Amino acid sequence: MRGSLAAVARALAFVLLALALCGFIFQIAGYSAIEMFRSIADGAFLNPNAWQGSLRWAMPLFITACGVVVSFRSGYFNVGAQGQFYIGAIGATFVVDFLNGYPAALVVPLAFVMAIVCGALWAAWPGYLRVASGADEVITTLMGNFIASLILIYVTGGILKDPSGTGQVMASRPVAEAYRISSEVGLSPAIVGVTVAVGLLTWVLVNRTAFGVLCGLAGRNPTMVVWQGARMSQFGLAAFALSGALAGLAGVVEVLGPNGRLVSGFLPTHGFTAILIALVAGLSVTGAAVVSLFFGGLAAASLYLPVLAGLPAAAIDIINAAIALFITARAAPGLAWLLPRRRAARGA
Amino acid sequence: MEEFLVATLRYGTPLVYVTMAGVLAQRAGVWNLGLEGLMIIGCCASVLGFVQTGSLLFGFGLAIAVCVLASALLWFVVEKLRANPIIAGLGLTGLGLGGTDLAVQAIYGSQATVNAPYGLPRLGPAFGAFGVLSILVAVMPIVVFLMWVVLRRTRFGLQLAACGEHPFAARSVGINPSTMRLIALCAGGVLCALGGMELALGSLTIFAYGMTAGRGFMAFSAVIFGAGHPFASAAAALFFSIVGAIGIRAQLLFGDRVPNDLLLALPYIATVIGVWVSARLRGGARTSEFGELRDY
Repeated sequence: MRGSLAAVARALAFVLLALALCGFIFQIAGYSAIEMFRSIADGAFLNPNAWQGSLRWAMPLFITACGVVVSFRSGYFNVGAQGQFYIGAIGATFVVDFLNGYPAALVVPLAFVMAIVCGALWAAWPGYLRVASGADEVITTLMGNFIASLILIYVTGGILKDPSGTGQVMASRPVAEAYRISSEVGLSPAIVGVTVAVGLLTWVLVNRTAFGVLCGLAGRNPTMVVWQGARMSQFGLAAFALSGALAGLAGVVEVLGPNGRLVSGFLPTHGFTAILIALVAGLSVTGAAVVSLFFGGLAAASLYLPVLAGLPAAAIDIINAAIALFITARAAPGLAWLLPRRRAARGA
Repeated sequence: MEEFLVATLRYGTPLVYVTMAGVLAQRAGVWNLGLEGLMIIGCCASVLGFVQTGSLLFGFGLAIAVCVLASALLWFVVEKLRANPIIAGLGLTGLGLGGTDLAVQAIYGSQATVNAPYGLPRLGPAFGAFGVLSILVAVMPIVVFLMWVVLRRTRFGLQLAACGEHPFAARSVGINPSTMRLIALCAGGVLCALGGMELALGSLTIFAYGMTAGRGFMAFSAVIFGAGHPFASAAAALFFSIVGAIGIRAQLLFGDRVPNDLLLALPYIATVIGVWVSARLRGGARTSEFGELRDY
């Protein structure tokens, strides 16, 4: 228990350090750091309607973050959540667009399955290159993100293009009312149900199954897993596919839920934020649920800032990036008491 | 043909500069994924410094100063706070993208691009069709050659390689790997500033949000593809730019039949193939160890 408390204190300390860096950057750019942070807190939590927005953004992020937890725990650095999220959303939009008019009981589940399969496949090819040839998955999944966003531009400007669109924003036709799983607000029972189910299933998978235990072991010591007689390559592929599937699931939730249509270049920082959530939570599913709310709040604030406070939304990107910069730090000069004992003893 | 070579050099020169920064970091034992962020910072600082003061030299100096500062920050986080270099590098990239966006908005309001009145000096008509290229293109081969001399033929270069390959051995003969990495990363910061400046002021004379579009990550893969050797990595970077130039050319030739967006994806696909081929040839290059992530 002491270890996990120390881990929380440690994560908080580095988040505060990141916020200090952000405040410094805001001051240099000529904004008042205090005003900036107050507006962000307003947009995220303090404003009466803010919690609704924070929760709306937190849920898809949490779904993707669960996938990131699985792949990072297994020792695979799948940083392609963004691309898998896009491809999942594209797959779902194809289904609802081409089967328009069929009963919702058929189309909606099919869209979900399609998104999950598409997301899993988009994660499977870097996974295959990794386990079969040892190609570094950081690069291949990053490149997958760029390719996926070009595919998104291509389909929203071509096959799926809304003919009545203005041409300013490339987007698909709006999803038919019957297939929507929530309104703009994005807090329907369907979305909450999917999110809770994903959270529970991932928790059980990670903490209560042989697969989860072996994944955790594979992340720390792959040789050990091989000696146990398990097939590393199968684990790798499964971990990749699972994380891609969950990112794809977040994609269909966004398209059939609050977004209501596929827009070119939508939510460009979704995948990166999900990775951050997983890391800040120390790769635990329960932790990710709490941390998602914080980052969901930041996402809500990035809409609030330019409209109501007249401040640039880039501030939120900077906060996210600064947290990423510090969150994996394992040594803190002068702050050794924050670290668990065995680290402190070995460190320095 | 000449036109194609010009397009390749235009696409490739910033990439080669940033690749050299990646080579330096890789030799010192740091996988620098912050290259993308350093590059966009170089683009932005050079254009803003130039436009605000009217002096190209000031833009040049500002880009170098900010990039070196950002590199030193990455060094502090990776080396002193012992953060995971992959995530910290991605964080620096995000900081570069967000920070440049914030800087542009702070100065110009909600405008997306900043135009510079003119760009870097050109090579001039003496070079024929290549005269439209900037002087940094001509300097590029010299930098690559110098990098080879420094890394492979000087005491400093060998010490740097020792820090990357076996830090313990380096420490045992009295080299401080931490300091060597600081030097390598800061020198890389200078190279990233040059690459960013060439991208923003070489032929375009513009800064636009996210204009690097993954070139930093491509440079990172060129380092993997070229196994950290200056010549091989530069060749890999030029290979990616040939593919990029083919994509641009193909848009002009049959853009009406093949979708443009998919042609734009060619360099990214080439990068994936490059990483895959080098893994096949040499075994996978692990960019870092991940077990520690859970052992807080």
